Amino acid sequence: MNLAKSKEALTKLQDYYVLAIKAPFGIFRKPFYLRETIEQMDYGGSGSFFIVFLVSLFIGMALSLQTSAELAEMGLKMYTGRVVGLSIIKEIGPVAIALSYAGRVGSGMASELGSMTLGHQVDILRVHGVSPIKKLVSPRVISSIIMLPVLTVVGDAVALLGGYFVSISVAHQSGSVYWSQIKQIMEFVTIFSGVIKPFIFGYLISTISCYMGLSTKGGARGLRKSTTEAVVYSTIMIIISDFMVTKILIMIFGIPV
Amino acid sequence: MIEFKNVMLSYGDHVVLDRVCFRCAFHEKIAVLGGSGGGKTTILKLMLGLVKPDSGQILVDDQDITVMSESELRDVRMKFSIVFQEGALFDSMNVKENVAFSLREFTKSTEEEIDKRVRDLLKILKIEDAIDLMPEELSGGMQRRVAIARSLAACEPRMMLYDEATTGLDPLTADNICNLVNELSRGEPPGRVGFIIVTHKVTDAAKVAERYIFIRNGNIIFDGNIEELKKTKDTLLRKFINELYISHGSA
Ligand SMILES: Nc1ncnc2c1ncn2[C@@H]1O[C@H](COP(=O)(O)OP(=O)(O)OP(=O)(O)O)[C@@H](O)[C@H]1O
Ligand SMILES: [Mg+2]
Repeated sequence: MNLAKSKEALTKLQDYYVLAIKAPFGIFRKPFYLRETIEQMDYGGSGSFFIVFLVSLFIGMALSLQTSAELAEMGLKMYTGRVVGLSIIKEIGPVAIALSYAGRVGSGMASELGSMTLGHQVDILRVHGVSPIKKLVSPRVISSIIMLPVLTVVGDAVALLGGYFVSISVAHQSGSVYWSQIKQIMEFVTIFSGVIKPFIFGYLISTISCYMGLSTKGGARGLRKSTTEAVVYSTIMIIISDFMVTKILIMIFGIPV
Repeated sequence: MIEFKNVMLSYGDHVVLDRVCFRCAFHEKIAVLGGSGGGKTTILKLMLGLVKPDSGQILVDDQDITVMSESELRDVRMKFSIVFQEGALFDSMNVKENVAFSLREFTKSTEEEIDKRVRDLLKILKIEDAIDLMPEELSGGMQRRVAIARSLAACEPRMMLYDEATTGLDPLTADNICNLVNELSRGEPPGRVGFIIVTHKVTDAAKVAERYIFIRNGNIIFDGNIEELKKTKDTLLRKFINELYISHGSA
């Protein structure tokens, strides 16, 4: 019984790897599903701007409020910009936006592909000789690894603006000090780690969600399960891979001073 | 020629097919009957290589399709057309795009050629007016028709597979679909385009099929023509065929 369970788990993991490795190569081999990819970028990317805007704005404001109060205690209020900027760009921005993306877009991918699987639409694709991975998964993966970094850059900017408004209006700091602090931390490493993370998160969210969708079975209940698991596993993988990427980046570049 | 040799399939502990053996020709008119969850859909999927058996062989024209890769299966799948339960239309596309799907995917047809082919097919199936509608705007019977049109668009199948083509339809519409199934299978054997229709309604099967296969608990419990079926002593089978007498009696 236990053996059968672990065998099944291994088969699943193997199926996931196959999908996760094949999907990005969709760009290199014909046919190209450009129209599908653009549609995904529009739905997943442009459609997510509003939630990303709201999430980032409030995170930036809350963070600025918190740190400026804390730093003021120690007489270090002028460092607010630096602390807010570093945490937003390197950590909180990528993670918070990826989590929102998993909730909004990942769950959508899983439920859409799930109901296509249950309704035999995926079988129809295969019968017609169309690879579901190329037609359904690749556009979603490619769209996610492009759009999530874009969303993150926009979100970071919004969060920094939110932080700025709070620091001048609530914490009564000079705006030019805030921006000069931010300017100082804009080094290659900061920007690199701020962009590489959403790239990896986008890949994880889309491959996990598509895999969950395509392996759906068992009616409405099965659909609920795969949608939930898509978000749960994406969340876990975002958090774990965030830690590992941070660790690797520190190993490569050292801690920037 | 299609042949199942000792085909076994199970999901976890649940045995769906237990050493199933049968053989049929492309021109035959077959009805596969059985209760819900009996493995009828699974048999069609196995035939197309959409599901792989745990053991056993499935031969199509003497080639074992259970060991083929997805790209090798392409040629095998071209020999069939399939209409799934509930139609399985792409719900993000309208009727025209659904029917044109395989034309766009495979052929280099121009927009006019595609348009003409789609209209011709819809005319044969008597649903020309639905061309611009979305799947959710269609009735169940129309969805089946569009699905049939789509399955015929790009290939010249030698055998058509229908999964529950008449389930959930009112008797009149079901009758129409049965007539359609018959019409699409004109010609004389061995050149005739045959079909396998999966259903749990013996009355519908009796309108179209020449050979009946019953499945129960993963086994084939009956395989023969209508005369043999009427003589059967099996209690479950009798329950199924009694329906036949009732409807004949009232008609
Ligand atoms: N992917 C799957 N995973 C687990 N079990 C499955 C899967 N596909 C089918 N089954 C099981 O296999 C059995 C046969 O399924 P199948 O769809 O072939 O039945 P059916 O005869 O077509 O029934 P129905 O009349 O309800 O369409 C069912 O009990 C079903 O629960
Ligand atoms: Mg079925």
